[in-house]
Amino acid sequence: MKRSILTMGVSAALAVLVGAASGWGEELKVGAIGTLSGGGTEWGLALQRGMTVAVEEINGAGGVKVGGKTYTLKMIMYDDQYTAQGGTTAATRLVNVDAVKYIIGPVGSPPVLGTIAVTNPAKVVVLANGYSPKILTPDSKYNFRIQIPTDLFAPSVASWLRTTYPQSKRVGIISPNDAVGQTLAPLHVKAYNASQFDVVFDEKYDRGLKDFGPLITRMMARGVEIFELDGNAPGEAGLMVKQARQLGYKGVIIQTGGPGMEEIIRVAGPFAEGFLSYDLFDPTDASVQGYVKGYRAKYEGPIPGISVMYYNATRVLHEAFKKADSVDVEKVREALEKLDGAPTIFGPIRWTGQEQYGIRHQLLHDFFISEIKDGKVRVKARVGAGK
Amino acid sequence: MSVNLLVPILFTGVSLSAIYILVALGFTLVFGIMRVVNFAHGEFAMMGGFALLFLLDRLALPYWVALPLAAVLVGTVSLLPERLVFRRLYAQELPSMIAALGLSVALAEGAVILFEVHERALPSAFSGLIHIGGFTFPEDRLVVVAIALAALGGFWLFTRIGLALRTVAQDREIAEAQGIDTRATYRITFFLATMLAALGGALFAQIYALSPYMGSVPLMKAFIIVIIGGLGSVPGAALGGVLLGMSESFLNTFYGASVAQFASFGAIILLLVLRPWGLLGRPEG
Repeated sequence: MKRSILTMGVSAALAVLVGAASGWGEELKVGAIGTLSGGGTEWGLALQRGMTVAVEEINGAGGVKVGGKTYTLKMIMYDDQYTAQGGTTAATRLVNVDAVKYIIGPVGSPPVLGTIAVTNPAKVVVLANGYSPKILTPDSKYNFRIQIPTDLFAPSVASWLRTTYPQSKRVGIISPNDAVGQTLAPLHVKAYNASQFDVVFDEKYDRGLKDFGPLITRMMARGVEIFELDGNAPGEAGLMVKQARQLGYKGVIIQTGGPGMEEIIRVAGPFAEGFLSYDLFDPTDASVQGYVKGYRAKYEGPIPGISVMYYNATRVLHEAFKKADSVDVEKVREALEKLDGAPTIFGPIRWTGQEQYGIRHQLLHDFFISEIKDGKVRVKARVGAGK
Repeated sequence: MSVNLLVPILFTGVSLSAIYILVALGFTLVFGIMRVVNFAHGEFAMMGGFALLFLLDRLALPYWVALPLAAVLVGTVSLLPERLVFRRLYAQELPSMIAALGLSVALAEGAVILFEVHERALPSAFSGLIHIGGFTFPEDRLVVVAIALAALGGFWLFTRIGLALRTVAQDREIAEAQGIDTRATYRITFFLATMLAALGGALFAQIYALSPYMGSVPLMKAFIIVIIGGLGSVPGAALGGVLLGMSESFLNTFYGASVAQFASFGAIILLLVLRPWGLLGRPEG
């Protein structure tokens, strides 16, 4: 009898310990898709880290408590290799093998388009980022974009430049001669024109070009005062910054896109001084100190701005679970759409997009203009999108 | 055209020409002496960039030590593929071309495995600007031009080894009859050629960027230059390099990269039709 009681007691104690280790409740799988190999790995790792910090925070605070149950979040991530096929493959595994109903990511239009080809028919909620106009459409009931695209932040950047550099008038844009450059350059031209700038130089180059000296020389001959780097990859952007300064260009250099400040510093070295960029994150801001602490506890090095977007996306999803008081995908989807005003790291949630895309699934958030000063990235201004 | 535009264009042309000549020289040397079209030549240039990065970044060597050491290291390492791949294929142009192509892929993908595919910059040894007569010249490009010219001058003022190379190129049997060790000559040739490629690649990576796939650009330029100048002709490589570098700089500035590429390849086609041995080469046979 005593032995039986002892056995039961030990078993109960073990059950408590195991239950504590496993988070008490059921497991709720949340998928993640990001680039973990090849070009774009920096973004995929940023997504992974941002989301990991959020998942550990939520689980550490007791998990997802909805519908009378408690769920422990389990993150399952696959590599999309920054291709549409990779996005499709990753989504197929998550949806058909792991049976997830919620996915954070990918980053970038090609893998997002590949992902939603699987998730839309399967009615899986996706919180991702990609600027292709095919991602948010009136039919994309299950897609949500958690980062503002160029057509929303470019006008705000141009307006900030107009206020900050009132004497500057002439803008030059150099962009890649591919789908990215051909899509984004007209948006920048429109944004600058709307803020009373004159775009006097708007040229494309073929990817792979390394010597931008001739292009920059012609640009300087047009008297350009603001040099816009548009959707250039950080490597090319860094070369342009370096070569422009080496050629004696003294005006403003800004990239309304990216961001890729660390790589630009690596490539341009001391010539990067004074370079401005659209940025997503101010690590000194009081509202992000919780995230900064959580990130630093796990990872070293500078905190990538994109990581905070996916931390935020995971927290937004958590808010939707709470509002829906359920993990049922239809209820959570509806709750997501009605989350305006809910608190996030970027302030209260604001959805937009009805006018531009026919569906109100675009998250609006403030952003920053950062500057490279003394070889380091410093936030120069906070800008409200859509202002 | 104003002087403000002309001077930077000319300077860009000179710096491009210097690097292209370095790379093309090694390429034409290997063909001229060994009758091998070395498709892996661009990858040796790439290896020069990575060797310089390693010596500057990991070993923290001074630049003036790291740069020649990087070139010598790549030249030394290249003796392995020379032994394993090319030695059996001297004077066999088609088989050696295919073997070199395979080697090129292996070297590039090997670099991807070791260093990942990302582009990166070399630590900047010269980041200042020099102002002359109201114009601004980057220090790093001036240094690159000086080094390239010094290397070319040193190569051109070759002594006994240079004579032996020229003798072997002209007639191998006679050279051997005169007691010249042709195998050793081929090894030295390959070493010198890849050393020049590595030097050119290291300088190219210093100005632009370094990645495992950067070798295709120097290789393509080398091809164009040696066809213009004449395959196997050292003065031809120098002339071809100047013509290509200058024309690229002018055409890029006023008409864009696509027009510059079109003009380069258009010139090659014309030359191959009208004067296939190039401007300073000699007709075969």
